Amino acid sequence: MGEIIVVTSGKGGVGKTTTTANIGTGLALKGKSVVLVDTDIGLRNLDVVMGLENRIVYDLVDVVDGVCRLRQALIKDKRYTNLYLLPAAQTKDKNAVNPEQMQKLACELADEFDYVIFDCPAGIEQGFKNAIAGAKKAIVVTTPEVSAVRDADRIIGLLEASGLRNPMLIINRIKMDMVKRGDMMNIDDMIDILAIDLLGVVPDDDFIVVSTNRGEPAITIEQSLAGQAYRNVVRRIMGEDVPFMNLESDDGFLKKMVKLFGLSKKK
Amino acid sequence: MAENAVIFKGTKEGLYIILKEEMDLDTIKSNLDKKIKPSKRFFEGANIINFKGKKLTQEEFNELKEVIEKEYGMTVVGSFGDKNYDAKSEHIETKKPDILEWLPFENVHKGEALIVRATLRSGQLIQYKGDVVVVGDVNPGAHIKAIGSVIIMGTMRGIVHAGANGDYEAFIAAYKMQPTQLRIGDIITRSPDGRGSKFNNPEIAVVKQGMIVVEPYLRNR
Repeated sequence: MGEIIVVTSGKGGVGKTTTTANIGTGLALKGKSVVLVDTDIGLRNLDVVMGLENRIVYDLVDVVDGVCRLRQALIKDKRYTNLYLLPAAQTKDKNAVNPEQMQKLACELADEFDYVIFDCPAGIEQGFKNAIAGAKKAIVVTTPEVSAVRDADRIIGLLEASGLRNPMLIINRIKMDMVKRGDMMNIDDMIDILAIDLLGVVPDDDFIVVSTNRGEPAITIEQSLAGQAYRNVVRRIMGEDVPFMNLESDDGFLKKMVKLFGLSKKK
Repeated sequence: MAENAVIFKGTKEGLYIILKEEMDLDTIKSNLDKKIKPSKRFFEGANIINFKGKKLTQEEFNELKEVIEKEYGMTVVGSFGDKNYDAKSEHIETKKPDILEWLPFENVHKGEALIVRATLRSGQLIQYKGDVVVVGDVNPGAHIKAIGSVIIMGTMRGIVHAGANGDYEAFIAAYKMQPTQLRIGDIITRSPDGRGSKFNNPEIAVVKQGMIVVEPYLRNR
């Protein structure tokens, strides 16, 4: 029986789909069999981010309605062994499936795969309820912004109420120089409010834009810091104890000298 | 001491006015005036179940009832000689508890408390007809509404409404007071603008002269 994980956030645009794509790809690169499920019916994006949009024939709603078999709807990503995608429907909406159907689907998929990862839509309504229905574990994604943290807190409350205890946190799009200047929330403040375990901290990275548009998850790009962070997240999911990356930017020689002689301003 | 000759107490049944035993009628009347005048609009139309505490004579009861009804627009629902008005019966407020004899009368309160052992998250709402104790934090977006007082054994970042049915004696206490909003009775307040530095000592919010005042309740550490 594979692990069933839902990636959720509450707030839109914080990086759920990006995280799902990268974690899924990363686990597949480590030799696991993975299926990614896009539950954002009507606003599907996971297929685009994975670069598989022109291979969609059947989708999640077709499977649930019995129009096709599950096998027929799964798209095999040819670049990696054992990475599959179950896309959402684009011409329907979130009332096309219900939580019981999602639970049944989750069990079916968990029989075949090591990891089943559900990409949850933004919000707290039917889409969210569908996405969490079959999940056994949750990853909450947030950005270091007050509004995102507020929504993440709401989501954690709803997850706990549904029996998904101990969700793990990914802080996405962090800019360490802004944090140091005090212009951006720091990690400790966020954990103070959200009070869940930290799974990963992903820096803001231009490579994400590039990777999304090309359909190649950043985890495959060597130079991408975000990709490196996701690689660490994958190792932690697999049980390894990986120290958090030092995201502070490299100081030039002069700055290092200044620090050494204690001449720089300390907070 | 004269200040607390008259106390408004909200209970499950409604509002009671508790009168200090030794006070004479005139002191009581002037205290009523001091308490009610600043919030006259709020009290108008309110129902007072009865008086408690000081044993009134029939004339005193009638006099007070008339003042309350004519001057302040409230209604006294109970009548003289009601069973639950008897000061001698199991009145927790007027009887000094044996083991705590050295504490001043006003600072001891006995009621029904709801104890919540969890951190309240954004969007969660607790409503209770009594006191509320939270052993955990109250996150921004969380809401507590209590008839009595609210005690938070953690960081208070949300909205708390104590004394929700008009009890200005209710208080809100927290280890770290960083509220979105504080409400006691019908008074609403928020943290002063620019309160950037967080005050790390436990504080209590009480109503003083019609305003909510937040101050530490432990000696300076």
